[in-house]
Amino acid sequence: MQGCLNPVWPCALTGAVTALSGFSGIAVVIHGSSGCYFYPATLLHNNLYSTFLVEQEVIFGSGERLVELVQDLSRTYKKVAVVNSCVPSILGEDIRDLLSEFEIIFVDTPGFTGDFESGYLGAVKDLPVSVNEGTDRVNIEGINLIDPFACGNQREAERLLHLMGIPVGTVFCHDSYDSLARTADCSITVNPDLPTGYGGQTGSLLGLPSIRKTVLALADQYPRAEVTKVEHELLDVNERITKAADKYLRRFDPPTVAIFSTCSYSEFAAATLRQYLDADIVFCGSRNTPRATWMHPGNVTSLAVIAAAIREHAPDLVLGSSFERSVAGDAAFVGFTPPIRGEFRLSSTPLAGSEGELSFMEKVLNACMDHQQRKSS
Amino acid sequence: MNLNPLPLSISRTGGCTLTGALAVTTGIKDSVTIIHGPPGCAHHNFSLLHATVLDNDCMIIPAVMSSDLSEHDIIFGGEEALMNVIRQVAIGNPGIIFVLSTCITETIGDDVLAVTRDAGVPVCMVPTGGFLGGDFGMGFSQALIAISNQACPVTKTPGPGQDRSGTVNLVGEKNLEYEVNENFLEVRRLVSLLDLTINLRFVHDISWADIDRIPCASVNILREPALSAVGEHLQSLFGTPYINSYPLGIAGTQDFIRDVAALTGRSPVQALQREKERIKDVIESFSDIHGLHVCFSISAGHPEYALIMEISEAMGFRTSPEGTVLPVPYPFPVGTRGMKRMLHLWRRKLTCKAV
Repeated sequence: MQGCLNPVWPCALTGAVTALSGFSGIAVVIHGSSGCYFYPATLLHNNLYSTFLVEQEVIFGSGERLVELVQDLSRTYKKVAVVNSCVPSILGEDIRDLLSEFEIIFVDTPGFTGDFESGYLGAVKDLPVSVNEGTDRVNIEGINLIDPFACGNQREAERLLHLMGIPVGTVFCHDSYDSLARTADCSITVNPDLPTGYGGQTGSLLGLPSIRKTVLALADQYPRAEVTKVEHELLDVNERITKAADKYLRRFDPPTVAIFSTCSYSEFAAATLRQYLDADIVFCGSRNTPRATWMHPGNVTSLAVIAAAIREHAPDLVLGSSFERSVAGDAAFVGFTPPIRGEFRLSSTPLAGSEGELSFMEKVLNACMDHQQRKSS
Repeated sequence: MNLNPLPLSISRTGGCTLTGALAVTTGIKDSVTIIHGPPGCAHHNFSLLHATVLDNDCMIIPAVMSSDLSEHDIIFGGEEALMNVIRQVAIGNPGIIFVLSTCITETIGDDVLAVTRDAGVPVCMVPTGGFLGGDFGMGFSQALIAISNQACPVTKTPGPGQDRSGTVNLVGEKNLEYEVNENFLEVRRLVSLLDLTINLRFVHDISWADIDRIPCASVNILREPALSAVGEHLQSLFGTPYINSYPLGIAGTQDFIRDVAALTGRSPVQALQREKERIKDVIESFSDIHGLHVCFSISAGHPEYALIMEISEAMGFRTSPEGTVLPVPYPFPVGTRGMKRMLHLWRRKLTCKAV
């Protein structure tokens, strides 16, 4: 069956722009119309540029306009990145050739080629990265600026590395252009769905078991790394969550849960909820193409399918975006997936790291408690 | 930067026709709008509409379907995909199916109109074409015109429900603006001063069957002058006169009352008296900021500068470049209540110190 009713996940162009605009010093040019420009611009609130194509350029060619804009931006930015959109990608203009006198980053990921993640990763591969062998730094991967947890995740990853006495290498993708010249050969991630492929991937900071594994792996690689503080912190966090979850389970049954997010976030949520609340994961829909995991999530990007799944499984708790919230009915809801709209969010909340685990479980327990109280009244 | 003039005066930064058309078509609750293009185009717009729905505390989610074109369809043509999706949507028996084309399907040459004609179910095609069809405003107007063409023309002898007296239509409400409902309430309040009611919000939160009520009003009130072509079109179809803008500013609000009264054959005297008293009360309730030194975020030459100067004068502000910069909201506040909300914003700016 072809067609998607109310699609809830952005296209490859948005992914590419998100990745590139995370690096200060790079001017990101969307080679397309204002319609293609406005959506990423309103999501990211970053300075983005566009050729703002109109019919004239489709007929007579867009080269002159693009060259002029790149020339202007090259004077003020360290690097210019051009991201191609649907229409210019099929016009047959050789953009690389048109811009051959400039050292630009050219990313050819028009919207019809795939989803957000494919665009993000395509852009990351085109970045001029220099991997430095044997450095004592560690990169942080998986920062995605449209993710409501992006800032919190970055701070949490930096805090944990700081606790271990390990300096931060490049943060993909929220750093300076210059940082690409000092990329380390070792990385940790806050979102395994966004692997850069630069240097070795040591592990993830999503969920306490992964954090512990990652910390021990780093300690193996960096003998001077301090692990005791982090280990104590993980034990403390585990105890606090266990205590709170036990208190909840003394009064209530474990929740049935429907999860709608990207693959790695869904896997994290499912594992955490099973571990602490013995939750029954009744449905799991992945926004991006799912990897083979123990949960076997399906690729779900239509709000109609999401609404049908919620109706069919009637979960106690729904994890998702504001799209899911609008079809969650009476179920408890925790905002977990971009976009989260219709509420004020001022603080930088993480999902990764020990603070992320605490914050996640705090929101889940409070939402479930409120739900139970609503049910009983 | 290249700022070559264009053969047509199409704004480079005017947004996408799809967004404009969707702002109208999704105002019909029992409709499904098919966007013929890659899923990204539908997502961008659906996401924006969904955010607006949340902002306006409305939980009716618009139905936006993508024909979900892949790289394969872009190479070999997407007409078959569109036909399949129309047939699939028709099974749900919606009030109306809209089809909007995108820039990519215009470029590859899909004959969208032919597909909609051959679909075997009623389909309203809105000429859009992404940026190849113009800009946001163009898409918005085209959708209003396409929908009005589907309404039954009024008969010479008004039938049941076709009595024109005592009602007005609101045409082209900006469904994506944050204060859409507050603006509606203000216009409804102002026309109620003349004992008039709203016949139809064309198009905001209505059913497809309501479209037949378009001819049944004494006057059409357009949201803004950019919709004059729509006003003209409705006048040519149904003979209904129009006012080309919501009321803006102090004198503008009073002129609005006069114009509506003239077109509906009512006396404006009492309504004007009541509104003048209300305006006076509002200005007096901000007496604590009268006479302060200010300057404005827009300058002379801006289309709304005269409206701002009028309000500034009423407040006794002294304008100078050293004065506190006061923001001018966009779109400009509607009516007296809109002006009051703007004055609250200005009071906060003038009296609250930053941290």
